[in-house]
Amino acid sequence: MPEERRLTLLEAIREALADEMERDSRVVLLGEDIGRLGGVFRATDGLLDRFGAGRVVDAPMSELGIVGISVGLAMRGLRPVAEIQFADFIHAAADHLIGEAAKIRYRTAGDWTCPLVVRTAYGGGFRGGPYHSQSVEAYYSHVPGLKVVAPSFPADAKGLLTAAIRDPDPVLFLEHKGTYRSVSGLVPAGEHVEELGKARVVRPGDAVTILAWGKMVHESLAAADDLAEEAVHAEVIDLRTLLPTDRGTIVASVLRTGRLCVVHEDSRTMGFGAELAAMAAEACLDALKAPPLRITMPDIGGIPVADEMEDAALPGRSRIVAGVLELVHRAGGRYARPEFDPAIPEAASVMEVAMRREHLEQVMAAVESVCADFPDLNAEFRWDGIRRHDEVRFDLDLGRRAPAAGGGTFTIIDYGEGSSLLGIPAVRPGQTAALRVGAVREGKSWLALTVDHRAVDGGTAGRFLGRLKAAIESGGGGL
Amino acid sequence: MALARRLDQHMWRFARSGRAHFAVPCSGHEAIGAGYGVALEPGRDFLAPHYRDLSAVLAFGLTARDVMLHFFAKAADPCSAGRQPYAHWGSRRLGIISLQGPQPNHVSHAVGVAWGSRLLGEDSVTWISFGDGGAQKGEVHEAMNFAAIHRIPCVFCVENNGYTQSVPIRLESAVAEIWHRARGYGIPGVLVDGMNAEAVHEAAIAAVGRARSGEGPTLIEARCYRYLPNTSNDDDSRYRSREEVEGWRQRDPLIVLRAQLHAAEADAIEEEAETIAAEAATWALEQPDADPGTIYEHTYA
Repeated sequence: MPEERRLTLLEAIREALADEMERDSRVVLLGEDIGRLGGVFRATDGLLDRFGAGRVVDAPMSELGIVGISVGLAMRGLRPVAEIQFADFIHAAADHLIGEAAKIRYRTAGDWTCPLVVRTAYGGGFRGGPYHSQSVEAYYSHVPGLKVVAPSFPADAKGLLTAAIRDPDPVLFLEHKGTYRSVSGLVPAGEHVEELGKARVVRPGDAVTILAWGKMVHESLAAADDLAEEAVHAEVIDLRTLLPTDRGTIVASVLRTGRLCVVHEDSRTMGFGAELAAMAAEACLDALKAPPLRITMPDIGGIPVADEMEDAALPGRSRIVAGVLELVHRAGGRYARPEFDPAIPEAASVMEVAMRREHLEQVMAAVESVCADFPDLNAEFRWDGIRRHDEVRFDLDLGRRAPAAGGGTFTIIDYGEGSSLLGIPAVRPGQTAALRVGAVREGKSWLALTVDHRAVDGGTAGRFLGRLKAAIESGGGGL
Repeated sequence: MALARRLDQHMWRFARSGRAHFAVPCSGHEAIGAGYGVALEPGRDFLAPHYRDLSAVLAFGLTARDVMLHFFAKAADPCSAGRQPYAHWGSRRLGIISLQGPQPNHVSHAVGVAWGSRLLGEDSVTWISFGDGGAQKGEVHEAMNFAAIHRIPCVFCVENNGYTQSVPIRLESAVAEIWHRARGYGIPGVLVDGMNAEAVHEAAIAAVGRARSGEGPTLIEARCYRYLPNTSNDDDSRYRSREEVEGWRQRDPLIVLRAQLHAAEADAIEEEAETIAAEAATWALEQPDADPGTIYEHTYA
């Protein structure tokens, strides 16, 4: 067994760079502040003194030039490793990654090649705001000819970076800032190479397949611990390489678990999760027990700097737990439910209500009371007319605590603590309304009311919800 | 130069008659590529040509047949095996750095190649040519800045034909003297008559020598004129007068060259060039077409 030491992910990256520079004199580093400063994150600390200014080169502020010149170095037969300080700045060099590095082999039919590595720090959680927090994997995973790698553990960081430097093709190496110092682990000393293009099952399970990379692997593992307490055993797969994607490992897992949850910090639409969901739909449709679930940053214009705003934007442990619980306990329908979306609270059928932690009896009493004045919400739509019920009988759907039994006249869905802040309920056959009580946070909860529009118009639904809010907030069921 | 002109004429006719995809004329630029092409040593030096430098790639060892295989995007196209449109020359064997589409991204690549030569302990010089249009992009600034800081063994050559496709130089730069920019990088700047191969050659010898001796890059501005439209898809009558084009015809680099030769010698060169160009075009047209089954090759190693 080779010697192993406990290193942070950052130390593992530095070791891979140093070892490869030692082994191969063609390996040269180019980037901003990588010399005397040792990189803004210190990934190259000490390398200038060890290998000299000829091989560890402080570049001018020129992201385009750093990557463009590195492309030329690679074409000439060197093994450049370029550093872009923050992934947010890499788009200035996108032309050389997308248009040049990725295409040189193809457009010259293999005559010229580009064994280039571009390392960059990505990811949020540091109050860095819109320009120091982004995840960029989706843009570059759309580029055939590139390889996109995102390690989660120190040993992989060393092994994958070593493989990337030795790889004959260009590799974008994404390092999550949140793993640099807070993730440590045993790393083999000396030669350690991990094959690119291979995902790894980091926690086996049978209820759901969670796919993640970078810091989100660690959030997913923490969520899997919580889920295990609920007897939901999640399989967590660390993708490690996004492009080319390890289809075999992913498909085998989803076929076994029947459920897919992708977690990424990048925004939702056209994120890498969309490709993984498509892969599951193409290869596993008959095995899927529920639609693929994507837990992502919402489609907002950037990652805000304020603590509360960034925390609300980025996915993490609790959202993964709540999402997976819904995925596992859903009632078998194959339609997709919208995940938390900040645009929805503006809809007339959603309202924020002050809510105690123990509130179910109170909500039921309020619904019963308000229904007396809004009989069409405790009714059934029939083509020959609306049939109103004399009394309210509840279908209570409490998720894993107690799924709905059926046979009622009004549905209340309340998955309790740890569930989504907001979910849109579906109206059951024979009823005209369903109320979803979102998880209580800071003494408040989102109520979402769905009605059968053939029986109840939006104005009526809104007034019903307003009266319900007043009834709940007044502390009792009565008015 | 004569061969480049004759090949240019053949390609122009093929493209305009719909028998080829796309032509990128070189007529008017031949003296530049010829002048610097013979100042370099194929096999030792590297060339990042401007897309009008057919004469330079011929000087570097690409044959007329190679050029026409590339032009017709045949299976045996040595530059790209049918993957790139014409004038995207390249050959690792010959040291011709593959030319890409977006101008002038090859400037950065070539600076990297030149730097790489030094890191490998070789004394190669890399020649980098691009147009007056390309010269306006940030790409060039970043590459020249880096090359000047590190005295990279390369030469920057701006081939200024007065137009970026249709836009005249006065709308491309407030300073008409592009070579003056060299001062901003602390490197020598040289203005040369790009219609005169001898003049270009002289400037190239000096710049290549300087680069090879470790003194760093030089910026050369070579003034020239493009006689034909920008490409076979362009209509230059929309942006420049026939009188202007005819005026520059009087200074045709081939006329300038002819004046330095005996008439009989010049005639023999012209005749031989036409024979080679015509043969290459006829031969290449009959070569096997590209195989669609190969589209999956070469995305990765």
